[in-house]
Amino acid sequence: MRWRHRVLAGLILVLTPIAAATEEAGVSVRDAWVRETPPGVAMMAGYMVLQNNTSRSQVLVAARSSGFETVMVHRTIVKEGLKGMEHAPQIELLPNASLLFAPGGYHLMLLNPKRTLHAGDRVVITLEFRGGLVLPVAYEVRK
Amino acid sequence: MMTTVVLAVMLGGVWLAATYRENGSRAMLLPDQVMTLFPDPKPLTAFAFTDHENRVFDLSRLKGKWSFLFFGYTHCPDICPTTLAILARAHENIVKSTVGAKDVQFIFISVDPNRDTVGKLRQYVTYFDTSFLGVTGDNAQLGNLAGQLGVAYQVAITPGIENYPVYHTAAVFLVDPRARYHAVFASPLDAEGISKRFKVLRELEGPQAT
Repeated sequence: MRWRHRVLAGLILVLTPIAAATEEAGVSVRDAWVRETPPGVAMMAGYMVLQNNTSRSQVLVAARSSGFETVMVHRTIVKEGLKGMEHAPQIELLPNASLLFAPGGYHLMLLNPKRTLHAGDRVVITLEFRGGLVLPVAYEVRK
Repeated sequence: MMTTVVLAVMLGGVWLAATYRENGSRAMLLPDQVMTLFPDPKPLTAFAFTDHENRVFDLSRLKGKWSFLFFGYTHCPDICPTTLAILARAHENIVKSTVGAKDVQFIFISVDPNRDTVGKLRQYVTYFDTSFLGVTGDNAQLGNLAGQLGVAYQVAITPGIENYPVYHTAAVFLVDPRARYHAVFASPLDAEGISKRFKVLRELEGPQAT
């Protein structure tokens, strides 16, 4: 039984800062996931639902992770009838509103993972908001 | 209320099939947001690609099968894996449906032959579905087939930039067993939307098209 408690205590220690940061930032994240890629593919995408719990706008200005060489906020766009991607340098979250990062729209472009990620793995990506707020989020790798 | 709507949709489907059989006219088909059927399917002409097993993939490989074609590239993080996952589910649905999938194939056409080698394509497409085919060719051949399907793509190769952008259509093209461009599925796509319409289409077409 004792080892179970230790694992649980460890988990609480790991998760506490994440929960605290979320509350402080006034922004919460749910359904955060990264799509598993075929072998040999170094380009991944992350999705989530961002919720602004405050009565003022929050602006997402960057994302970073030690799990990848490069993380960028991107948006799939239609240009002259063709789908492409563009860098979204800042995204405004309206007061008390949620914003969806989903296939075909906003996504985190994750380039060159440091290790091969499989369905079920977790990877932390830190979201940075204007004003210095940082929000580490655990993304679940899903097939 | 809900029942009425469902019933109306079902009757709509029946009516659609009935008019089609009576008049033999595709012009009677109802407009659809998901699939556009062409009144006169356009016969495709010769093209030459290589598939992920290093075999020639030309017009003859489209004959005798219903082919779902999708243009993309493996360095594509969002639209391509999303679409291929949807097509894999659509394929699963078709396998389970009454029409079956014996004469159905799914082809991923890479517009980025510069990075997408045969080996890379094999790893990529078979991850989503072991029956999927990955093909590519030179720019002239890619432009040839894209042009026949009325689509464009743009590869912005930039010297020194590893991840240059590629712009491509997110639609899925359906080619019939006579190698004619028969229908197109517009994005946003969903697996059920594709498999249900394909089943209706197969029932309408009957076995004569094969």
